[in-house]
Amino acid sequence: MKRENYRQGASDAKTPAESGSGPILFFWRLGVPGALAVTLVFGCAAPAALAPSAPAPLPPPMVAAIDTTPKERRRMMPPEVYLRAYLGWFGGLAPLDVQAKARGKNMFDSWDDYLAALGLPDYKVDLPRQSQSNTLMIATLGRLGEALCVRAAEHDLHGKTPAAARVVFAFQPVAAPDDAQFAERFDVLHRLFLGYPVRLAPSDRAAHFFALYRAVAAQHAGKKGPLTPDETAWAAVCTALVQHPEAELY
Amino acid sequence: MPRVQITVRRSIAALCLLALAAVARDGAADRELADYRYFRALSVDLLGRPPTAGELAALDKPDFDLNAWIDTHLAGPAYASRLASIYLDALRLEVGPSFQFVPNPLVLRRETVLGPDGAPIYVYFRRGQRRVDPATDGDFCLTHDETGLSFPPNAPSLGFPIAVSQEVLDAKTTLVKPWWLYGDYRAALPSDRISKDWSTRFPSFVPVPQLLVEPDGKTPTTAVRVCKEEAQTADTGNVYVSGRPAPKKGEPPPAGRLTQPPGDSGFAKATKGRAVSCLSGTGFQSSVQCGCGIGLERCMPASGPQFESAAFQLPTHTPLGLAFDASPQPASTWEKLWWSEEAKRFLLKIIVDDRDFREVLTSRATEVNGPLAQFYRFLAGATCCGPAADAGYAQPEGVVDPGAVPAALVPEDTATWLPIADRGPHAAGILTMPIFLVKYGSRRARAHVLYNAFLCKDFVADSVKLAPSDEPDLTKRAGCSACHQTLEPMAAFFTRVAESDWTWLPSQLFPASGCAKAPSSGLCKQVYDPAFHMLRGAYASPAHVEEGPPGLAKDIVDAPEFAPCVVENVAQSLLGRQLEPEDDAWKTQLVKTFVDGGYRMRTLVRAIVTSPRYRAGNDVRR
Repeated sequence: MKRENYRQGASDAKTPAESGSGPILFFWRLGVPGALAVTLVFGCAAPAALAPSAPAPLPPPMVAAIDTTPKERRRMMPPEVYLRAYLGWFGGLAPLDVQAKARGKNMFDSWDDYLAALGLPDYKVDLPRQSQSNTLMIATLGRLGEALCVRAAEHDLHGKTPAAARVVFAFQPVAAPDDAQFAERFDVLHRLFLGYPVRLAPSDRAAHFFALYRAVAAQHAGKKGPLTPDETAWAAVCTALVQHPEAELY
Repeated sequence: MPRVQITVRRSIAALCLLALAAVARDGAADRELADYRYFRALSVDLLGRPPTAGELAALDKPDFDLNAWIDTHLAGPAYASRLASIYLDALRLEVGPSFQFVPNPLVLRRETVLGPDGAPIYVYFRRGQRRVDPATDGDFCLTHDETGLSFPPNAPSLGFPIAVSQEVLDAKTTLVKPWWLYGDYRAALPSDRISKDWSTRFPSFVPVPQLLVEPDGKTPTTAVRVCKEEAQTADTGNVYVSGRPAPKKGEPPPAGRLTQPPGDSGFAKATKGRAVSCLSGTGFQSSVQCGCGIGLERCMPASGPQFESAAFQLPTHTPLGLAFDASPQPASTWEKLWWSEEAKRFLLKIIVDDRDFREVLTSRATEVNGPLAQFYRFLAGATCCGPAADAGYAQPEGVVDPGAVPAALVPEDTATWLPIADRGPHAAGILTMPIFLVKYGSRRARAHVLYNAFLCKDFVADSVKLAPSDEPDLTKRAGCSACHQTLEPMAAFFTRVAESDWTWLPSQLFPASGCAKAPSSGLCKQVYDPAFHMLRGAYASPAHVEEGPPGLAKDIVDAPEFAPCVVENVAQSLLGRQLEPEDDAWKTQLVKTFVDGGYRMRTLVRAIVTSPRYRAGNDVRR
């Protein structure tokens, strides 16, 4: 009867058997008399009184530290820092000497054209320091980076400068490097411009840059130019690193 | 159970092997990306550049002591420059062409005439120079009849030049070996003429080529021809009264002049024959005996007759203290450059030496180089005294005592900086430096920028509707009072410093209250405020008038907002973000560190850059 009522009252529901519930299934299979018998047996066997357990301290609460300090995106490198680094990468030259050296082939105009675009303040006219990048600034950084890398490739690689005197490409170049040879040399540039070894960068970074290297080298293969295809490819890798967001933020 | 034990043992062994391998790899420490980023941020903020390959290699070593590295670099010039930029950005202590510093007493303009042999020669003169001869008084010392030329003010000469006779040249001009050509111009026979080695001895001192050669463009200039009155060297002259009657309407100027000669001022008539300082503008205007001093050291050269002609090759951008360009600039730009450098150097020294930061406002010390020493000793008085001369003020009293300035520095010595331990009783940190006083020309502007930069507060107008009012007291006028109740008493501290100038108005000659009897005189109109019969700017707080800028400096550094404001400025700059309410406890802790550490920046910056907020605060994408 109960079974029928159960089925009628919950026609869509599963039976205990169907649902597979353990203890309920057990009593279901015994039927009502059996269930009563089992209850009596266990009830008579129960002790007269349950002994209270010894009081125990509550387990210590789990403390989860939450960092509530405000977070921001990386800040822009002050333009003075960029300029100081830039002059250093150019071999520690004075700004006007860098300008003279970087000029040529229309790669660099004059500092006058770049300083304001880099976000430097101009106290004379109360122009404040730029705290956010803009397209002109990015373009300027790109142009400066290109001038640096091409001149550095001419000096360090094409000029066969001794290793100790190289300012950017402080490694022994090899023609048409393989993956490992590229990665070893790329790590030098990665540390210089981004400040950490490439092994800690996203895993595909070296591969991406190697693809760039091969593409540029292939594009310049067999062509006459001031740099060899490999040197041009290193200059391209250098330029891409100088313009990498991580190089301009900290 | 045994199977589990074996697995755990194998894992531990593998971990040990991995650790050993990591250590064995050239002894490198197992740095994480965050370590490198933190180190790069420290390098950017403390060294002023990203880390080099060598510095990264040092970081890779397991025994690298980052704390020691931080301590080492909290003393360097790049760190000081980084910190100073926080306050330089706030104060913007440079002035551009909008501020003109071209006083006639200082500028030796140059005319070109034909010499006795018919070849062009240069003759230097000061416009406004007093001379006895009415044909040339206040004008060029050679007349139209002598040169064939007319000399309009601030413009090239007009007419058909004729050769000036040797007799006239000898009578009216003389040859001088000037300071801009000779390092030893004070010697009896100067011989240290400008040469190639000056670029290392006196870097940045580069006169334009026109000042170094004769009109033929080839012959090096060894001496300059100057009108005789300008070549005088006396420290004082006697007040000159020409006694000439004022010109009648329509009467042409004498001797082919284009302008009338100057008349006798009230000051001249009242003090005829009395001694007057040749270092003051009043002396220049009222004595025929005041000239440019030995080697023309009281004057600045110009390469033409124009209002401002080129004198020096100067950079317009010096972001790292280095010249990023150079172009011909007038002498006033030379002065402005060094005023600005004085403030920058003052700020840097306080940070590099880790001195009490309150000295930025309170210190009476400074450092000067040759151009600044020349300015304080010989040039600063040129803007004094205008209408104040009517009150008998003809011996300028600056905010810097010229007697405290080292006399050994020659004007071209840009490289040697010597200390002035005490600039005098009116001095107060940057508040009394020329660059601050001209950048913020008005008393209110000066008070406002200090309120903003050193107390981190600003004036925000209330919402009262402005109505027409004849209430002269802005601390009471509706719509103005909300801000001016605070601003006016602060501005009153600058009452005795002339606006857009550094001239001090001494209390003996200028009592705070005055001019009630003759409010329409020039002095009363310009120096005193007719609405209050008090010195201009004094009405809101007569007590502050006598305290002067040192009083304001003391008020600011004693204010409870001062230390939190310094902490806020520095922390925000290093974190690259505004401090939020969540930072309040940290900020309070930093304020305590800063104050307990004697208001020294190194303690504060160390606390900031070693905090988790600095280390991880800018890593939202991590």
